[in-house]
Amino acid sequence: MYISAILLVLLVGSIITFMTRTREQARLVALISSWIALLISVVMFLNYDAAKGLDNFREFYTWIPSIGINYHVGVDGVALPMVLLTTLVSAFCAIYAWGENKRPNQFFALLLLMDLALTGVFVSLDFFLFFIFWELTLIPMFFLIGIWGGPRKDYSAIKFIIYTHVGSVVMLLGIFAMYTVHGNATGVYTFDIPTLLNAYNTLAISSFWRNFIFAALLFGFLVKMPAVPFHTWLPDAHVEAPTVGSIILAGVLLKMGGYGLFRFLIPMIPNAAPVFIYIIAIFGLISILYSPIAALAQPDLKKLVAFSSIGHMGFISLGVAASIASGNEIPRIFAQSGAMFQLFAHGIITCVLFGACGVIEHHTGTRIIQDLGGLAKKMPKFTFLMVIGFFASMGFPGMIGFVAEFSILAGSYPQLPILIILAMISIPLTAAYHLWALQRAMFGPYNEHLGDVHEITWYEFTALAAWVLLIIALGIYPMPLFDMMQATATDFIHILPAGGIVP
Amino acid sequence: MNYALLMPQLIVIGVATAVILIGLFMKQEQKKALAYISIVGLVVALLLTLINFDAMEAYAGPPLYGAIVVDSLGQFFNMLFLIVAILVCIASMNYYGKNPNQDEYYSLLLFATAGMMVVAMANDLVTLFVGFELATLSTYALAGFDRRDKRSIEAAMKYFVIGALSSAIMLFGMSFIYGAAGSTNLEVISLSLVSSPIAILGMVLLLGGFGFKMALVPFHMWAPDTYEGAPSVVSALLASASKKMGFIAAFRVFIFALIALKMEWYLPLAIIAVITMTLGNVVALTQKSVKRMLAYSSIAHAGYIAIAFVVVSRSASAAEFAIAGGILHALSHAIATAGAFIATAAVAYVVLSNNKDAKDVDSIDNYDGLGKTAPLTALLMAILLLSLAGIPPTFGFYSKFVLFLSAIRGDLLWLAIVCVLNSALSVYYYVKVIMRMYWGDPKGEKIKEPSEYILALILAVIGIAILGIYPEPVYNWALGAAEVLLP
Repeated sequence: MYISAILLVLLVGSIITFMTRTREQARLVALISSWIALLISVVMFLNYDAAKGLDNFREFYTWIPSIGINYHVGVDGVALPMVLLTTLVSAFCAIYAWGENKRPNQFFALLLLMDLALTGVFVSLDFFLFFIFWELTLIPMFFLIGIWGGPRKDYSAIKFIIYTHVGSVVMLLGIFAMYTVHGNATGVYTFDIPTLLNAYNTLAISSFWRNFIFAALLFGFLVKMPAVPFHTWLPDAHVEAPTVGSIILAGVLLKMGGYGLFRFLIPMIPNAAPVFIYIIAIFGLISILYSPIAALAQPDLKKLVAFSSIGHMGFISLGVAASIASGNEIPRIFAQSGAMFQLFAHGIITCVLFGACGVIEHHTGTRIIQDLGGLAKKMPKFTFLMVIGFFASMGFPGMIGFVAEFSILAGSYPQLPILIILAMISIPLTAAYHLWALQRAMFGPYNEHLGDVHEITWYEFTALAAWVLLIIALGIYPMPLFDMMQATATDFIHILPAGGIVP
Repeated sequence: MNYALLMPQLIVIGVATAVILIGLFMKQEQKKALAYISIVGLVVALLLTLINFDAMEAYAGPPLYGAIVVDSLGQFFNMLFLIVAILVCIASMNYYGKNPNQDEYYSLLLFATAGMMVVAMANDLVTLFVGFELATLSTYALAGFDRRDKRSIEAAMKYFVIGALSSAIMLFGMSFIYGAAGSTNLEVISLSLVSSPIAILGMVLLLGGFGFKMALVPFHMWAPDTYEGAPSVVSALLASASKKMGFIAAFRVFIFALIALKMEWYLPLAIIAVITMTLGNVVALTQKSVKRMLAYSSIAHAGYIAIAFVVVSRSASAAEFAIAGGILHALSHAIATAGAFIATAAVAYVVLSNNKDAKDVDSIDNYDGLGKTAPLTALLMAILLLSLAGIPPTFGFYSKFVLFLSAIRGDLLWLAIVCVLNSALSVYYYVKVIMRMYWGDPKGEKIKEPSEYILALILAVIGIAILGIYPEPVYNWALGAAEVLLP
């Protein structure tokens, strides 16, 4: 009942928020509903039983039986942290956006709707339900970019919706093919995810359909992640989106693609063409190498952060590929749990990064790095939080990002040594663009053209500080989350043939 | 024989006659009552249709000799026509609320609906033709109902000339079929027709005749001009109901022909469907007038529905599923398009009340900032457009879902790919309107939105939402309807 409760609370909250008249009412309702959702997901987190896997909090009701669609939800050690991340990010976004003046009722309603759709994606165990939530995430983000966005919002909003929609419909074709193949072979037509994934491995499917299904799903996830060269919608969307939109976009929405790799592709890969392992790894590697180089060239702080997301998401693809490739079991489990942890870690770190961009834009009116300078003198509290966020993003030890990327690199090296060495090239470059941006924007002599800049507001501080605390706490003691992920990663690895797959 | 099953048609015809007779004796200001009478009549007919949804009656003996049949396919399309007629009637209460000739308008509207219902139930080529003519003759007059508006007259004229031509072609085709099969009864034809050049020629001509009504490429040229020029409420009727009349006729006549004649029509039908949807979508991208954009989008949707025929001609196992998908999409498109055209009428009202001399009221420029000046209209229209674009959880998504899934089940992967990419392309022009409504700068003051339009739009949106979230019953109806067609 927990999962339905979250969805229901957010749906009701969204509708009520939409109908409120004043800013005070809107933000209050949004705050309460998003925090109830967070509370429920924390309770779920505390009651999670690793031995039960996907049976945790499972709910099953028939919905459209004539074509085999059910309301089927449940979480395991990769889905539950994602639910927690979604509700956590949204709950603090409701605080961060406390000062929103423009159409506040619509703004907060869309925020809750986004929260609802994203939670739905991570809990769905039926392809129809999954796809509905997957597509539903487009609508609130489209309006967030469009109504509260920057000068080129028209172009960015429409590019965002069309580009990712194309990815989604291609994925949908893969789902259709799975459904048909399973139905034709067994006579039972169903969209149930566990059943179809199982069927993919047990039924005799022609290699064309096998590869088509895998490639279609992979394409949908790569566009969403996004992997270079399917990433071009992301920088545009980020630059124009309002801060909260960017936080949710990078913090949670991109994770849908990474989550898809775990939920769907890892169980399927033993029976797909082995070359897909290299395809996933190469897309990850290209993203890792491309992102810092592109980021170094960005004059806009927010675009720089947007490009950093692409690289961090690349580590997930690389870790997933390495955990499948043949090798010893222990590093493979390590790589995979690291990749899962990266989903969560990047989700939190990016909140601080985009939150910081938002604060700078709000207080100085610009995000162009050249026009900033010496902000640390005027905003010491803010600078402290921002610096922690940037260090976490470049993988500084003792912080959440280090745990994730270290596990991925260490666990992947035995399987894919050459690719990992190539990926390491990005580490100094990543440090370079982070530090260089910090140096130019925050330190050095104060840029007098900026005029009188004030310290950050209490609500921005609260949200950023909460995320920073999580970065440090989970960086020092990641075990509560990491253990959960490791248990699930072990299950996933045991589905694969012993010793992995030779790519 | 249970003649009570024909009550919906009789009620519609009766009310149509009554409305025009009563109208003769009514004063100008009383005529608004006729709209209420029409709506009540249509609602009663709809309820009777829904009550007898699963009824089967062949009327084999005298006096009908099997010319009319009541089955779930006919009932499904009767429901569709009645729903659209009710929506259009409600919207017309505002659009023609002060028109001195509104008695004629409602009567023509009801006669057109009755004609479509006759087509839906026709089991004989002659009945089919009579129903077609009743519906089209009424809609010719409706398309030109704004007599002082040059564009309305142009629309009616084009529609009339092309419509008359298509009727002639259709009739010509029917004569060949009669010559080949020796009967005009569809059941007899399906049993006795064998593949022969005459039969195939007849079928091709019929395809042409129905193709004009369905607005399939290359028979589509009249549609954009007519939908754009005709009064918006009439465009709603034309695009959603009149077009579906072509589809029900095609379903009734073609499916058995495809099966009985064992014709290898897969490729030509596939090409027609693909060209129709692609051309509709591509041309819609560049339209400045929202009504014209909706017209091209209707053409694209005709292409989607037509893939039901392609799948049927290709795969026996997926046939039932494909027809069900086609029927569902016909319903979802009918409701959403009717709503969208009514919304353009509402927007025109808003624009004219802000600026009396506005020209080109349907231009996309007038949609700027509608989210502020007419928030309810904008919201409802946005939902309808999202349904047309196939974004979940609307009914438009579900019907496309079933339809495209049927292409995969029929082993037509390439067709499914073309369809989904087309559908993704179409998102552009629907969303463009939503963008203008929500983040354009408003032109003018916030005004009180006319309640008749809002009521019609709310009904359409409720239909789209409920059917989208819980499509199980309507899917089963569509499946039942599809079973009628397959042996």
